[in-house]
Amino acid sequence: MIRKTIKIVNKLGMHARPATMIVKAATKYRSEFRIVKSDMEINGKSIMGVMTLAAEFGSELELVADGVDEKFLIQEIVEMFLNKFGEE
Amino acid sequence: MKKIIGNSVSTGVAIGKAKIINKHELYIKDKKILKSEIKFEFSRFKKNVKFVIYELDKLIQNYTYSKENRDILESHKMILQDPEFNKRISILILEDQNCLEQAINTYFTEAIDIFSNVNNKYLSHKVNDFEDVAYRLLSHIKGERKDVFVDVDENSILIMENISPSFVTTVFDKNIQGLCTERGSRNSHSSIIARSMNLPMLVNTMGLLGNIKDGEDLIIDGNDGYVIISPTKSVLEKYKAIYKVEQNIQRGLLKLIDIESITKDGKKISLMSNIEIPQEIDQVLKYNSAGIGLFRTEFLFIDRDDLPTEEEQYEIYKNIAEQCIPNPITIRTIDVGGDKLSNILNITYEQNPNLGCRGIRISLQNVPIFKQQIKAIVRANVHGNIKIMFPMISGVNELLKVKEIIKICSKELINTGIAFNADMELGAMIEIPSAVITSDSIAEECDFLSIGTNDLIQYTLAVDRDNQSISDYYKPTHPSVIRSIKLTVDNAHKKGKKVAVCGEMASEKKYVKLLLALGVDELSVSPGRLLIIKKEIIDCDIAEMRAKLDKILSCKTSKEINKLI
Repeated sequence: MIRKTIKIVNKLGMHARPATMIVKAATKYRSEFRIVKSDMEINGKSIMGVMTLAAEFGSELELVADGVDEKFLIQEIVEMFLNKFGEE
Repeated sequence: MKKIIGNSVSTGVAIGKAKIINKHELYIKDKKILKSEIKFEFSRFKKNVKFVIYELDKLIQNYTYSKENRDILESHKMILQDPEFNKRISILILEDQNCLEQAINTYFTEAIDIFSNVNNKYLSHKVNDFEDVAYRLLSHIKGERKDVFVDVDENSILIMENISPSFVTTVFDKNIQGLCTERGSRNSHSSIIARSMNLPMLVNTMGLLGNIKDGEDLIIDGNDGYVIISPTKSVLEKYKAIYKVEQNIQRGLLKLIDIESITKDGKKISLMSNIEIPQEIDQVLKYNSAGIGLFRTEFLFIDRDDLPTEEEQYEIYKNIAEQCIPNPITIRTIDVGGDKLSNILNITYEQNPNLGCRGIRISLQNVPIFKQQIKAIVRANVHGNIKIMFPMISGVNELLKVKEIIKICSKELINTGIAFNADMELGAMIEIPSAVITSDSIAEECDFLSIGTNDLIQYTLAVDRDNQSISDYYKPTHPSVIRSIKLTVDNAHKKGKKVAVCGEMASEKKYVKLLLALGVDELSVSPGRLLIIKKEIIDCDIAEMRAKLDKILSCKTSKEINKLI
């Protein structure tokens, strides 16, 4: 299992498009993927879940992946966050 | 007899029978199932979800127009593929022994509830997506998907809570009489399409659904903006007479489709169309317009969370340009106030947005976005005949800057080796008094001028047209406005450049003769008004009106001018 804490750096926060990108990417992998935000934990492969995070600019999230390809999953998702989901 | 007020989307009278298309009817069905039925119920769930996903895939494939539509459908697919959705439904069916319809209803009600309460403006509008998916799935399960229109015929007036643009196109093919929605606005995409199709439609008819029964007699008065439920015999007779007259006029107008717009005294006027969204192209082609005089590009930028890419814009411009060949299309670069773009651009609060950062000013302040639009346009120009036009030009300065940016874009495109054609006519919108006064210099720096009368009137008379309390001050024939048009036309003609009018004045029958007498070369109107204005042009004797021009130009008030035209 890998855990990785990450900050939302794109200005618009976790709106519909980034949420879609995350789910699309995560679904490609076999590992389980969950996202934790303060007291809330959701399935990172669920569009409904990721959107209900409604994470704003500057908020902190913990990414948790568990499975055979967990390393690659985390890598791809972290990269998306760092690239600000291609927004700027 | 009952009368309900609404906002008229398009003029004209419709008489028919009410046909209520009610989304929410689908939701009501609460039923528990037996333990022995659980397995069957769950297989129904799998089967129906699979089919709806297949149906969405087909829709996605066939959506060639906009990325926006495709994205919406993709997100709908994702909602159905959501593992949590599957999990929750299985719990509702297996453990709570809900029937499938009830399980789905429960899930989506919960989801919609969550999103309505989410404190994030980019997510709250997701509610619509969940509503749409729930509707699509439930109506398929109930086998009603194909039957929604089963009772719809040439006599129907559809009554709905709200309507999507694709729905308007579908119902139009059913030859219905008209359309009323309880919600919605005059400027929604659905309304724009209905208007360009000349389909009588009212929006914002509050309380209509509660007051009407399926099959009741109904009249839409799109001229005055209300619906009449169960009209009395005399009212019905009155409207039948109006309807007949309108139909006769319409039939007469349709005969003009292939006739050229030449005035009685032989001047050829190019009569073009204004479009706001790509779907209107069908009407442009149907009415045989001489091209597009104003292709607004705002639809690409507003009501979304991200900016359109160069590629997305290129596809749309190319598509429209190709369909209009050999006729030209005039693309106007983005023309909105900053307030409309606040979710995608960094906009500082403005005390006076009408005099603030809007039109070309937005583009010049956000050069990377402007360059994307320019590049998309010059690339699309390879496939058709495109002209480009810039809004809110206050003087020569902006034009010089714009030309510089076009040069830079061309250089960058050469370097990447992508095909483009930057050889196109450039136009300036004349809508600010300073542009009128310096129109001689502006005409030197571009290939044509296009007068946007709505803003020109607003800025010349310093009157906000949407402010009810001062609406009396908004006068299209105020002497200052008429003289401004005259000055602009004269200055442009001296430099050998043409002048178009693309504002609402061009769409009003009563002003056509005056505009032509002032020397305007081109009129651009919404597709639904094309034939009406063409008739006006054909019936016009410019010389006759021109003989009165000196008198008109020396009038002191708009009242005097109105008497003369």
